[in-house]
Amino acid sequence: MAAMMTIARREFRSYFDSPIAYVVICLSFLALGLMFFMYRGGFWQVDRATLQTMFDYVPFGLSCLVVPVVTMRLVAEEKRSGTLEMLITLPVKDSDVILGKYFGALGLVLVLVLATLAYPLAMFKFPWVLGSLDYGPILTGYFGLILFSAAATAIGLLISALTESQAVAFFITFFVLVVLWFLGTAAETQPGTLGAVLAYVSFQSRMQGFNRGVIDSRDVVFFLSVTVIALVIAFRALERRKWA
Amino acid sequence: MTTDVMISANALSKRFGSTRALDKVSFEVRRGEVVGFLGPNGAGKSTTMRILTCYISPSTGTAKVHGHDVFDDPLAVRKTLGYLPQRAPLYTDMNVYEYLQFAAQIRGLDDGTFKHRLKKVVEVCGLAQSLGKTISTLSHGFRQRVGLGQALIHDPPILILDEPTSDLDPNEKAEVLKYIKEIGKDRTILLSTHNLGEVEEACARAIIVSKGRVVADGQLDDIRAKTGRVRYVVTIDETRAEAGNKPPKALEIEEALGRLGGASAIRELPTDETAHKFELSGAQDSDLRAEIFRLVVARNWTLLELRRDAQSLDAVFRDLTRGDERADRGGDWEDDSDEDESDEEESDEEESDDESDDSDEEESDDQSDDEDDEDDEDDEDDDEPSERKKK
Repeated sequence: MAAMMTIARREFRSYFDSPIAYVVICLSFLALGLMFFMYRGGFWQVDRATLQTMFDYVPFGLSCLVVPVVTMRLVAEEKRSGTLEMLITLPVKDSDVILGKYFGALGLVLVLVLATLAYPLAMFKFPWVLGSLDYGPILTGYFGLILFSAAATAIGLLISALTESQAVAFFITFFVLVVLWFLGTAAETQPGTLGAVLAYVSFQSRMQGFNRGVIDSRDVVFFLSVTVIALVIAFRALERRKWA
Repeated sequence: MTTDVMISANALSKRFGSTRALDKVSFEVRRGEVVGFLGPNGAGKSTTMRILTCYISPSTGTAKVHGHDVFDDPLAVRKTLGYLPQRAPLYTDMNVYEYLQFAAQIRGLDDGTFKHRLKKVVEVCGLAQSLGKTISTLSHGFRQRVGLGQALIHDPPILILDEPTSDLDPNEKAEVLKYIKEIGKDRTILLSTHNLGEVEEACARAIIVSKGRVVADGQLDDIRAKTGRVRYVVTIDETRAEAGNKPPKALEIEEALGRLGGASAIRELPTDETAHKFELSGAQDSDLRAEIFRLVVARNWTLLELRRDAQSLDAVFRDLTRGDERADRGGDWEDDSDEDESDEEESDEEESDDESDDSDEEESDDQSDDEDDEDDEDDEDDDEPSERKKK
């Protein structure tokens, strides 16, 4: 446990030792701001005291940019540079390595997610009060975002554990997450069972409840299951070096 | 198993796909021994060390470190070990202090112990000036020191060092070896290298592996005596001869030497002089010098040098590891490789870096020992840091 925390701390810190954390934070906030206020008239066009659109954009931004960038190097880079051997031959369990890296990366993603709290706070509390905001959907929305981040980061870590190339890890993670997201849109056009199946696995469909202010235990279990399964497979992928 | 046995490997085998990296490797290392683990590139040195450090698992066989089985109790094994992987892979974004602290924290050292150990480690590894530097800015030699430092931070009874001196310049090499000898007094050290000079300097015992098998294991003197041969070096002037005779051709000399009774493994060595330099080996209990002298006189050649010495560990090593290569490649490769290696033979006594240049190109690598071909002309290269080996 202590070893896991040490690894997580190191992982989290290392993002700030390189430009990666700053670049990701700046770019994603810039993108979010543009989307939120400008895209198709954005927030002003809606003309309601709601942050619904933000909760639509944030998971998409996380899928296409933040999570792939943050997770791509986790294991892949260490495998390539050989530091994995150094790390694993310290007295740590493989599970500590996976969990440590996972929480380190998740830490950065959550910092980013929670930083978007600036939106509701600045717009509806201080310095501007643009209306009276319904806080229920905001809270459930953030709860959903945290679950989403947990699942997406686990998937990114898993993919990083399967390859030695950061670039490959980035693109596959990007692809998988974006597909999982847009399956929801696809589901709407598909009738019958196929549509139901697509909606079932789509992250987008799963997030809709949270955005409306509903915490459905099925959605919670879905995201937690994805997280756990991805972490277990990542653990196995790391263990595979022993036998390969 | 006695408590004195710190590392014991029992019939370790490892396959990577269709490649057999290790084939029933067995050995023991006792308390306080400094053992050189020798072999050409791709012989299975790193694979063995990775098994001992529980990074990978053997396909068959067992190994125990400090009484703990590497399969059943990997954490206990790793706790008693200090391990320096090949080329000291470190987190280059951290500074030296942070890195050592990271290693100490993972090993569960408390702050006080860490500070205390850090002092020691900094002193012996010479890191005082670089504690605050980011690892990415350090030279390879210093990274190696940091790697050694992290292996020592918890004061382990057993050290496993995978080519700790590769990529170091001669001064650094000497320092590391001196240091290894020093810490070896109360520790068990398994040290892999393909540099025989280092083994002779730092270790009393050597285990030689080739193609995944142990081909020799014992005290250096025993290994040296194993082949029971002595070496002769003969240098003959190639520009002039006595009594107005024609100066000799290399081929001529080689043939003449070949006709001497008991001479074998004759080959030409490179030399700076305008001369032909030959090396041959003879049986331990004979002395060919008189015969060689008579031969030279009879042909009216000019003898510049004639010397007889015990066969170097180098040659023993080559004998032991080449047998497999030969079988592997078929005989026609032999001549080739003799020529390749003749450079190194010359510098046996100084520092012969890499015995395995010619042998590794053919081998399917066990993914680890892919050192570049090293200094062929050792003598000249000794003065410069081996920059070109870096990636």
